[in-house]
Amino acid sequence: MERKIIHTDFLIIGGGTAGCMAAVEMKERYPQCSVTIMEKAHIDRSGCLAGGMNAINAYLNKGETPESFVRYVRADSCGLVREDLVKSMSELFEYGVKKVEKWGLPILCDDDGNYIPRGRWNIKINGESLKPILAKAARSAGAKVYNWVTVTNLLTKEARVVGAVGFSLRNGTFYVVQAKATLIATGGAAGIYRPNNTGDASHKTWYSPYNTGAGYAMGIRAGAEMTSYEMRYVAIRTKDAIAPTGTIALGAKAPLVNSDGERFMVTRYADLGGDGAPTPYRAHGPVQEIKEGRGPIYLDTRGLSAEKVRDLKSAYLDMYPSQVLYWLANDIDPAREPVEVQTTEPYVVGGHCQAGYWVDKDRRTTLKGLYAAGDVAGGAPFKFVSGCWAEGIIAARAMGSDIEKMAPAEVEAEQVDAEEERAFKPLKGHAKLRHGISAVDFEARLQKIMEEYAGGVSTHYEMNEKMLTIARDRLAKLPGEVGQLVASDLHHLMKVHEVIDRIDVAQVLVEHLLFRKETRWPTYQSRTDFPNRDDAHWLKFVNSIRDPLTGEIEMITRPYEQIVPGDRYQAK
Amino acid sequence: MPVWVDPEKCNGCNGSSQPPCLRMCPGDLIVKDHAENKAYLKYPEDCWDCLPCVKVCPEEAIEFHLSFQFGSKGARLIPHVPKKGNQITWEAIDLKGNKEVFTIRTKIMQVALDEKVEGGAEAIDFSI
Repeated sequence: MERKIIHTDFLIIGGGTAGCMAAVEMKERYPQCSVTIMEKAHIDRSGCLAGGMNAINAYLNKGETPESFVRYVRADSCGLVREDLVKSMSELFEYGVKKVEKWGLPILCDDDGNYIPRGRWNIKINGESLKPILAKAARSAGAKVYNWVTVTNLLTKEARVVGAVGFSLRNGTFYVVQAKATLIATGGAAGIYRPNNTGDASHKTWYSPYNTGAGYAMGIRAGAEMTSYEMRYVAIRTKDAIAPTGTIALGAKAPLVNSDGERFMVTRYADLGGDGAPTPYRAHGPVQEIKEGRGPIYLDTRGLSAEKVRDLKSAYLDMYPSQVLYWLANDIDPAREPVEVQTTEPYVVGGHCQAGYWVDKDRRTTLKGLYAAGDVAGGAPFKFVSGCWAEGIIAARAMGSDIEKMAPAEVEAEQVDAEEERAFKPLKGHAKLRHGISAVDFEARLQKIMEEYAGGVSTHYEMNEKMLTIARDRLAKLPGEVGQLVASDLHHLMKVHEVIDRIDVAQVLVEHLLFRKETRWPTYQSRTDFPNRDDAHWLKFVNSIRDPLTGEIEMITRPYEQIVPGDRYQAK
Repeated sequence: MPVWVDPEKCNGCNGSSQPPCLRMCPGDLIVKDHAENKAYLKYPEDCWDCLPCVKVCPEEAIEFHLSFQFGSKGARLIPHVPKKGNQITWEAIDLKGNKEVFTIRTKIMQVALDEKVEGGAEAIDFSI
């Protein structure tokens, strides 16, 4: 295998929302430094934003402040967030959004040139080309981009991250990147749980199916401290097509109703804010209605004007066109028929929830030389696109100021050799093993365990100590079987590494779910044996560190710190 | 099969080794059959229905189909991306053949037909 050595000042793993913005910030502030981006797909259309976006969902509209944003996000997350992180990202929303507007992003404005709000924290965009716009900005700023490189692991030397290794999906070149500072900006993890749909639609998921938790897994393996994996994300999405519902709920003001036409959020969750209840409850409400026999659940679009329906379709074409084709193929007019919704399989994601690296206010991880931004950075939910930009900017600034004090990094030849052997073994094994295991089969085994014992859709997302212990025991067998994974080409080699990464993420997730003995975020984290929130014991962060040598996962807690005064359960 | 490359319309972007549809798929699911000079969706089970491949094809050779489990065949949704002008036009055709047209503002980013791949010159054959 050809080996290519790259020396760079800054390495960015993942050329998505956070990574592209970080690259621009680095080159603008530290123009003499070299910036290298390693991207699993092609940077022009990779990850979550590949299809486009029709809104920026975290923005301080007129009258809002970083403090009001923290109060909202804190209440929405049931009283527990890293307030320092949420506040610092909100302070940079405008900086990031204005930049991307300058690069060509169409943002909807009123006659006076002010952005048009779509809900309290949202603005409307024509974001079909959001990803290519960001990619172009990163390239134009001078970042060197390596497309189609699957990064398999971080390189460490004496407890410092000194770069990363990966292989090219196009020609098998093994890349060894030696970097002074490394930013992890990959996506979170889809595919840990069995997806809602089967067959050729099994990847019709809400979250990008190509975000497989690699960024988490390489940090877990290197011994980084992780936080809040137990706050899983379960979304309400349109039935089958799994399209976002904010477009309908916020854009068309359509309320959630059950099969009796009852606005159950208003009647049953009034004390939590009704339709404005914290996001976990807006998933939990429908799940309970269905569990108790009052499903299906709908967004009531009946009575929308023809013009509003057209606006709705336009909004989906900018972001999720298959929803429009679904209506066409089923003879559905949302003005006559309400839009059925369902909840998705759980995802592990730091952009909507809090799963990720434990970072300081400058997005430094607990490993020297390693930084995290976007979906892999923990503790700061409600990040979405603009929060990922903000975190990329914050991390870039910290990396720039840190490397001036850093000694040159050197990689260990033995570690590189061992990783090359590990990375390509499934390809070589293909010729030798008569009965190897495919990535698809391995993924099915993992998803079956998680679905049935760790709170999947079919158990209404519920779990208890016994179930989770079974999940832990069954998952514990999987690493021993990784050696039987085979790949017939480079694409399948990528898929093999994706499933290996998912196993590492799933094991950490189950430990987190076992550890938090309360129910803080119903449906996201529903413990039937500890059904209530317990502030006296659990108003704190659950963190984990996996020992790089033994693989043992140690659980620890970190205190919650309130920065913005006020009732933690009130958004206002 | 969520997207489908029409072999009648696909010209493989002529001599391109990495045509735009291959580059724009975030799942790396489309490949080019160099012998036939055609692109095709090699891993349909992993398609996310995100459509960058459809929008970027200069021949409009890629069609978007809904998985049959979600609805009847016959409805169509076709984006037209002009070479110039910052907008996309969508044709939405229902099962009865009724057509609705949407023109939506966007930012058109030019995509070259081919792009150099970093690293080794030739693809390695791992077949056994």
